[in-house]
Amino acid sequence: MARVTLKNILSKKSNVSPLVLSFIEQMNAHISVEDENGILLCGNTDILAANKHPININDETIGWVKGDEKSIHVAYLLTLLAQREFERKTLGSEVLVLYQEVNMVFDFSDKLAQAIGPVAISQLAVDEAMRLIHSDSGLVVLWDEASMQLQIPATAGAPLFDQEKITSHADLLLRIGLSGQSEIMSDLSSLRDEGIIGPDVHSLIYSALKVKHRIMGAIILAGNKQMQYAASDLKFLTTLALQSSSAIESALLHEKNLKEAREREEAMRRVYEITAKFVPYEFIGSLGHNIITDVKLGDQVEKVVTVLFTDIRDYTSISEQMTPEENFRFVNAYNERMGPIIRKYDGFINQYLGDAIMALFPESAESTLSAAIEMQQNIHEFNISRKVKQLPPIKMGIGMHTGPLIMGITGDKDRLDATTISDAVNTASRIESLTKYYKVRILLSEITLQQIQHPEIFHLRYLGKVQVKGKQSSIGIHECFSSDSEDQIIKKEKTLPAFNEGMYHYLNKSFQNAVKAFEAITAINPADLTTQFFLDNSRHFLKNGTPDNWSGVVEMANK
Amino acid sequence: MEQKILIVDDEPHIRMLIEQTLEELEDDGVEFLTAENGEIALQIIQKEKPQLVFLDVMMPKMNGMEVCRKVKKELQLTDVFIVLLTAKGQELDRQKGNEVGADIYMTKPFDPEAILSKAKQVLGLQ
Repeated sequence: MARVTLKNILSKKSNVSPLVLSFIEQMNAHISVEDENGILLCGNTDILAANKHPININDETIGWVKGDEKSIHVAYLLTLLAQREFERKTLGSEVLVLYQEVNMVFDFSDKLAQAIGPVAISQLAVDEAMRLIHSDSGLVVLWDEASMQLQIPATAGAPLFDQEKITSHADLLLRIGLSGQSEIMSDLSSLRDEGIIGPDVHSLIYSALKVKHRIMGAIILAGNKQMQYAASDLKFLTTLALQSSSAIESALLHEKNLKEAREREEAMRRVYEITAKFVPYEFIGSLGHNIITDVKLGDQVEKVVTVLFTDIRDYTSISEQMTPEENFRFVNAYNERMGPIIRKYDGFINQYLGDAIMALFPESAESTLSAAIEMQQNIHEFNISRKVKQLPPIKMGIGMHTGPLIMGITGDKDRLDATTISDAVNTASRIESLTKYYKVRILLSEITLQQIQHPEIFHLRYLGKVQVKGKQSSIGIHECFSSDSEDQIIKKEKTLPAFNEGMYHYLNKSFQNAVKAFEAITAINPADLTTQFFLDNSRHFLKNGTPDNWSGVVEMANK
Repeated sequence: MEQKILIVDDEPHIRMLIEQTLEELEDDGVEFLTAENGEIALQIIQKEKPQLVFLDVMMPKMNGMEVCRKVKKELQLTDVFIVLLTAKGQELDRQKGNEVGADIYMTKPFDPEAILSKAKQVLGLQ
């Protein structure tokens, strides 16, 4: 606070200065006013200093009035004015101190709002407390409800406690941390003697961190010198503690919520991971959902897809020679080979049916056929490894058909199931079963073939028409022999014109010509079992005639 | 030339607080002037030409923004350094403060040390 000076009171800027000068003049007083250093402020030096009166504020002399007997009145007036000025300044400075406190609290709130997490907030609280209340060391203790232990999330300055001693004398921290009080501890001699606090610690102050009636801990400060904390320090620390408490409380709550949310998310992720293996993500995605838990009863989507069926030929006789465990291992080994190929070509497995797989390809028929070829090639490799183990080779038929399909969720509210409802599924399944009949590896319907933009990249043969039992319309089917051995592909391509000619005659009941064409093929390629099949049929019809209603359309048996 | 600081706020305690904060500048011969609203402030600025004005934004009659705009834009008194004072939480005023030509902008409750050092800097008393 700036000192009160007579110079300021008597300066021409001062609003009381004219009053004083007029008072002296009216009184006709012969006086002079000097400051405490004898410097003349008003009046003359040549006056007779018969009287000399000091002007005091709180026992401090700030100047003199010298002169005649009237000088005492002037001194009295100036003392009064100086006193008033002193009071004004004192009040002003006190208000300013209070205002500074308000500003600090505001500042602290600002910083608190930016601190994230109980540790950061505790650190901020103890740092600010150290800055605002002169101390040598400080710390925050918090009671952790989960572990039922006291924790020290933040410290500042010199170590307050002896780390080893404090754990064996936890009662002091417990007493402070759980007291819920705010206090200045001035007699620390016993704590010093016991070595719990450092030998230099002379004064200790703490304030409880609490929300409503729940005590969370305390903020503790300590001073090393022969200093004592004042009541105003305690008031200040309490204010900081109060603000920190609610911030720490919400940070703890937030942390708890976050932890719970993470756990829930983790649980959801695990559920999702597991369910994604049972129900393909593509299926959920095509229902317009992101995660399995969004799927509800009655959800459905209609889409044109290519359905692919695989089946292991004569699986029953293979499985008869295996124990149930071997069976299971075999099916798993098989599925593990097929699954990745299906996914690679943007298909997804709708169902595993023992040794059979039903897969859906929403993207293109071309990729379905590519997948089928790669699956057959994989089986070829599988057989090589089986041969090493002296196991018999396996054969797999693949059939596919394209058509509209409804995928949806059926069941009841407690047990949901992903279901596909489609004619295409039945047809694809039956086309697959025809692979045995025609002795081919891959069969596709003409509908699927029409969807393929570049059929020329595949090796295909037309095998006539088939009809699903109970249905009026028939569909053409084609063999794809792209997965055959290179030798077979060359031979089948070479004999393709003859094969087409044979098929033409065969379907037109011109069996003699058909036999001729097919015989020419089997002469070149006796391994062409499909041609052999048509040759045998042609010979049979040539010898026995055809049934009355024979039109070349093969009726597919119900599965 | 005698240096003058004008303190403009409708709240008497804020005027007193700023004056109290800057008290030590009296020893350097700085004169303090005060005004309780924008109109009076404008008159004093024109007459006394203070080097520094602490100007509250929220005031009756003529608000601080308007006073600042008149001083800087209409009267072209660009030598008058104007510190706009605004309540915390109304920081959006900063943009407007720049538009009306305020030199800097401080928030209330103000930091006394910041106010004092700013005044010393503007008056060249450091």
